[in-house]
Amino acid sequence: MELLAQTLVNGLVLGAGYAVIAVGLTLIFGIVGIANFAHGAFFAMGGYACYLLTSRGLNYFVAVPLSVLVVVIIGALTEWIVIRRSLYGDSHHGSLIVTFALGQAAVAGLILIFGPDPLPVTSPLGQSTMRFVGIFVTSQRAFIFGCSVLVLCALGLWLRLSIKGQQVVAVAQNARGALYSGINVPRIRTLAFVLGVAAAGLAGALLAPISTIYPTMGYSALIVGFTVVILGGMGSIPGAMLGALLIGVANALFETYVSVSWTPALGWGLVIATLLFRPQGLLGQVQQHRH
Amino acid sequence: MAIQDFGTMMDRKRAGAMNGNKAARAAREAIYVACAAVAIAAFAFAFTDPFVVTLAGYTCAFALFALSINIILGGVGEVPLGQCLFFGVGAYGAAIGMGKLGLPFEVAVLIALVLSVVLAAIIGVITLRLTGAYFSIVSWGLTGVAMVAATNLEEITGGPLGLFGFPPIEIGPLQLSDPQTYFAVTATILLLAIVFLVALRRSPFGAAMDSVRQNPHLARSVGVDVARVRLKAFMLSAPFAALAGALAVPYTQIVTPEVFSVANTVDGLLMVLLGGAQLVVGPVIGAAMFTLIPQAMNLDPNVRILVFSSIIILIMMFAPGGLHQLGVALRDRLGRRTDDDRSR
Repeated sequence: MELLAQTLVNGLVLGAGYAVIAVGLTLIFGIVGIANFAHGAFFAMGGYACYLLTSRGLNYFVAVPLSVLVVVIIGALTEWIVIRRSLYGDSHHGSLIVTFALGQAAVAGLILIFGPDPLPVTSPLGQSTMRFVGIFVTSQRAFIFGCSVLVLCALGLWLRLSIKGQQVVAVAQNARGALYSGINVPRIRTLAFVLGVAAAGLAGALLAPISTIYPTMGYSALIVGFTVVILGGMGSIPGAMLGALLIGVANALFETYVSVSWTPALGWGLVIATLLFRPQGLLGQVQQHRH
Repeated sequence: MAIQDFGTMMDRKRAGAMNGNKAARAAREAIYVACAAVAIAAFAFAFTDPFVVTLAGYTCAFALFALSINIILGGVGEVPLGQCLFFGVGAYGAAIGMGKLGLPFEVAVLIALVLSVVLAAIIGVITLRLTGAYFSIVSWGLTGVAMVAATNLEEITGGPLGLFGFPPIEIGPLQLSDPQTYFAVTATILLLAIVFLVALRRSPFGAAMDSVRQNPHLARSVGVDVARVRLKAFMLSAPFAALAGALAVPYTQIVTPEVFSVANTVDGLLMVLLGGAQLVVGPVIGAAMFTLIPQAMNLDPNVRILVFSSIIILIMMFAPGGLHQLGVALRDRLGRRTDDDRSR
């Protein structure tokens, strides 16, 4: 019983981290209409920015928001220079190839600058653990969980309550209609892209102390992000959160009770089952014709 | 736009049939093939440096993989991020067949090819109802599953260390451990594959693939079974990738779960995009550029990825049809200018 409770808590904590990555991906897919294969690279950049700042002696808690800022700047530049120009071309797989190549280039760049070896990021929370009715959670994981929940709630409220947020929702529902009602759609798309990669950067900075950072760390994040997003329904933000928690808990249960070495295959098993029986995902809407 | 494409395509087909100069075209193409065969032989005799010749052989094997990717990318217009699955099936098929079962290389490869087609049929039925990013993501995910399986099924695959220490690889009397022979074999197979794909692209099936890529809805409305064409193209692409994987084994001499890594697909994809997806020999040109330029300039692999990825981004932004499109655009522009001059 205790083991089960501990496993479930581990799964929820894991899922909260996945949710931040996946919400960014699904936001970009819903608003900008591209599957961002460079998402993992922004995740890694968040981790590396955090490493650079903390290794200069900056406090981790200050470094995290600054890392997000760094990723925001890089993301905005990327959007401005590349995404905006390649997206509206007539070749429909163009955006996919462009973001994929961007991700490759970024990873190669990180290897050239920082080397291929893992680097440590130290957090003042260190290895301390918290005990809560017989369940242990490391303080860093509790911090990740808290931050993720906070950010996701803030995003949800912003989308629901603010004018800009409502404009974002409008573009997601019907970009042409939004344009006709006077919403600056290109600006909303820029905003959504930058917000999405900022979420990836935040996740990278948050997870850096528990996983160490390495240039290809983004691949697993990207793969997890996509499994979550497909499971939840592409473009659906509640779906991404639900999918993240499901995958987090399923992974934790599978690791504890079945096999650690086969766990990476589990997410894809779930995705294929989803696509076979409910192709639009758990909370997704039936796909309209959009590339 | 797409409808006009469709129209021009039909026009071109009709024009080709009416001109009746098929014989001349066949003769010209026979000359091309003969020239290529002579070039292969000349290369194999002219270069004696085993490193260069082996690398050239490996490049030919990998170009075969790029051709397989291009059947999907240039044929039905999907981005097959999971194509290295079949590359891996070929490599593991050859390795397990030779190393564990003691089969001759060619028998092991044949079994792997059949297996790859069966696997493609199963995967295709599941994944090909998806399009665009969904298809790319799921096919990528399946290679992740394959990598996990290859790492964990130690009795069959040798686990994370992989399989190595094969007996000398030979096809009948041809010793693939000899660099010249290896190059001649891979280059000949590549040449045959190109001839086959050129014929395929001209066949009704090639036209069906074109129509599915350009406008699936229109294709369906004129009676093309879109799902069937996509599945057939996928099943056709698999043995090419598997053959490439098997032919890479004499060069690598080891097969590890890393063959399922997306990095392999990325290399192939870069080759296709460099050379241009709409040209049958495009991937081969891309493969040559992708291997020769870094070799000549002694580039670090990561610099290579960085440079070529950036080139791809630029190509996709300015010339989505591949580098040769730039040449075509330049020729058109120059041609138009001379026309303008004349009219003035």
